[in-house]
Amino acid sequence: MNRQLKDRILRWVLASSAIAGCSLLALILIAVIWRGHSAINIDFLFGAPGNFGEGGIFYQALGTLLLMLGAGVLSFPIALGSALFQTEILRPGKTAELFQLLMYSLNAVPTILFGLIGFMVFGVWLDIGVSWTTGVFILAVMISPTVQTVMRQSIEAIPEHYQETARALGLSPWQRVRAVVLPQSAYGLVTGVLLGLARAAGETAAIMFTATVFSGILFPETWTEPVLTLQTHILTLAQEAVDPNTVANAWGAGLVLIGIVFFLISLSLVIRSRLSLEADS
Amino acid sequence: MRFLFDPEVNWKHPFVLLTGLTAVIASGSVVLLFLFLIVQSLPIFSAMGLEFFSGSDWIPGESYSVWPLVYGSITVTGLALVWVLPLALGSALYTSEYLPPRWRSVVKATMELLAGVPGILFGLLGVSFLAVWVQDVFGLIDGNTLLTASFLLAGMVLPTIMTLAEDALRAVPFEYREIARALGLTSSEITFGVVLPQALPGVVGAVLLGLGRAMGETVAVMLVIGGLDRLPNPWFDVTQPGQSIPSKLGREAAEALGSGLHWNALIASGLVLFLMVMVISLVGTRLLNKGNKMSREDCCGVGGGNEPSVKILVGKN
Amino acid sequence: MGDILRTHSACFSFWSATCILLAGGIACSIFFLPSFVIAEGLIRSGGSTTVLPVVSKAAAHYNRSHPGVRVTVSGGGSGVGIQGVGSGLLDIGLASREMTEAEKKKFRERGLQVHVIGRDAVACVVSSEIYEAGVTALTRQQIRAIYEGRIRNWQEVGGPNRQIVVIDKERHRGTRHVFMDYVFGDPSAHAAGVRLVTGSNNEEQAKIAQSHSAIGMLSFAWMNQEVRGLGLIEGERIIQPTQGNVDNGSYPIVRNLNLLLPAKAAPEAQGFLAFMLSENGQSIVEDLHYVPVRQSEGSHLAGEVPGIQ
Repeated sequence: MNRQLKDRILRWVLASSAIAGCSLLALILIAVIWRGHSAINIDFLFGAPGNFGEGGIFYQALGTLLLMLGAGVLSFPIALGSALFQTEILRPGKTAELFQLLMYSLNAVPTILFGLIGFMVFGVWLDIGVSWTTGVFILAVMISPTVQTVMRQSIEAIPEHYQETARALGLSPWQRVRAVVLPQSAYGLVTGVLLGLARAAGETAAIMFTATVFSGILFPETWTEPVLTLQTHILTLAQEAVDPNTVANAWGAGLVLIGIVFFLISLSLVIRSRLSLEADS
Repeated sequence: MRFLFDPEVNWKHPFVLLTGLTAVIASGSVVLLFLFLIVQSLPIFSAMGLEFFSGSDWIPGESYSVWPLVYGSITVTGLALVWVLPLALGSALYTSEYLPPRWRSVVKATMELLAGVPGILFGLLGVSFLAVWVQDVFGLIDGNTLLTASFLLAGMVLPTIMTLAEDALRAVPFEYREIARALGLTSSEITFGVVLPQALPGVVGAVLLGLGRAMGETVAVMLVIGGLDRLPNPWFDVTQPGQSIPSKLGREAAEALGSGLHWNALIASGLVLFLMVMVISLVGTRLLNKGNKMSREDCCGVGGGNEPSVKILVGKN
Repeated sequence: MGDILRTHSACFSFWSATCILLAGGIACSIFFLPSFVIAEGLIRSGGSTTVLPVVSKAAAHYNRSHPGVRVTVSGGGSGVGIQGVGSGLLDIGLASREMTEAEKKKFRERGLQVHVIGRDAVACVVSSEIYEAGVTALTRQQIRAIYEGRIRNWQEVGGPNRQIVVIDKERHRGTRHVFMDYVFGDPSAHAAGVRLVTGSNNEEQAKIAQSHSAIGMLSFAWMNQEVRGLGLIEGERIIQPTQGNVDNGSYPIVRNLNLLLPAKAAPEAQGFLAFMLSENGQSIVEDLHYVPVRQSEGSHLAGEVPGIQ
């Protein structure tokens, strides 16, 4: 059977490409763990940085978390507000299309450009210089389309008759949002934030010359001070792959960073799978 | 303007004002960014004119030409596409057409995690492994080349293309597959003869979106591309080092931060990058949405919509 | 029934998530609010990666002994240091070269003052494999030919039959300026034979060590078993890249390590500069294998360093 044979061959070709695609993740994880596990110990995780690339990464990790949480807190209201505006208030038409187009564009902007322009706007014009605040602002703008898209999709997924019932009861938009939209899309909103946070934690280009320094500071004490972050720490060490100890530290920091990002994404996956289970029941 | 909105909406209501404001902030930031790019790159265009695009040297203080950088960007992303396309499409087709739902969600979750791997880790992998392998395998004198960067980018955009393409494939109505199976087609014939042609606009859209993402990637490329602002000689030799626009910005922005013609030149390169990425991404988004919408509409119209694909099937046999 | 239950659990988790976010935001604000002032006592320095180790170490000492002051350090290269201090983004610029005419003109109104904190020499370096294969010294013309791309194989200068990986640095880098000044007689010379462009000293050191046939330029402090310094052949003599030859003035590629301060520098920045030039500061310079400046000659006041011409 020629056709059957062809079918079977093609099936195997497709299957092997799927396996290859998925094993890329496994390969990356294996590489990072293999090279990085030797660096991981209590001193490394909770120690202060020492001379070039030596010492712990506690403050770098703290800086990454600070930028990430700050961006999350800032972008949450903006993303939620604009998602509500788009779904509850805007009627289909030219304005809605334009708005959607702008959100798509914002999502597509290369992150390095957020760094350049964000620095001009926040760092130079608002005069807060190279500081964690500048980093937070830039990352907040950067992740807001991600968060907004997930939020909008989860609001749009609410069954139409819920909304219609609320309208029929004569509820105002705000009452409708509180009674129907927010409770029904809660998981989606949390998922959106988690994915946004993951994106912020993994970003390097936008903050490498706008929010961070090499050394001299542990944790910012005022609004205008810079931070240390894991991402830029790895970037510095990655260019310097000579001394084996320092290289191991870079991989160790990478392991911690990938841990943070994967924790956030896995959490969002768990929330979503619970959601779909409930929807099925 | 008013007719565009819900006539019941009370514009003075704080809820409407508040959400409207956040919407303006979110959508306005990209407009602002674009305007900034234009305004700040004007000086270089008035100083150099079209030479900015046609020259061949980037020497801060003397002359600036974006052409080698554009060439590097396009070459690297184009090559990455060649490497990633079979893999991404293969896995998207297999996941959407062959895998049971449980396994499909596993694959999608894997892809989502892969998409979350920070760029800097790809960079670290590139410096420590990929550059060395490329040097050994291709027998080069050095492993920091356009080729290395393209391999790295292929890995980075695989999850984007795969996930979006899979969504587009899933959006093809189920009836198509059932009819095709009833006609006695094998799974692979259905996949390639029915589903893929039907989902083609969406799949192309997915590829373009992945391409847009690859073109803007900074740190990973910066670490392995070699940093040479020059066309390779001969021009098609990708085993030579080069430079892409984001990598150039990442390396040189700190040096010119905020003022001077050098800064204007960098921002102008940013503008070129912005325009390239926008065109690619917006066309991609449009195709993706159109593809999905088309499939949905076909699903509702019963008779007529199904005919073309049946013809395709018959033709294939 | 199921709907109602779901609504409740979803509602609960939504509000709890919101509360956590809000609480986080409030906690952040409370933590930072009392210190909502323009960072006082924060001195930003940045620039040359040659000067960076010295300043980084000195800053750690200084921060420990002066609780009210914090000196931050970042890299980027000499160009970044000059641009940063010139545009006011940095309080102290680090530069391992003198300012170019263009830079002087651009930042004239800031009245940048150049303070020499040490001296350093730049070596032409090669991968250890090349050094061990017999290339231990080159003439200025040979180096120039290599950087211009006229010599492409190590064989032509007495080495193994292997292509040369010519490593350049970014144009604004201090090391490149002094090296190109020696080789081409022009600090911003164009090098057509270049294969790779690197940034920081560490990056270049790493690339040369990784490669088996690279040539590059590095400060003496970055030479090691993997990255070997070449002797320079001048006429009949071979000048080895040793500290002794720098001290006696015979090694030709020498430069100042500069701190740049604006005319109206903050007192904390002045204080840090004074520390750099003090005995303790200069001992750090010496620890990192640079040449300390002799204070008795008052050399830190002007751009010229005795013994270099």
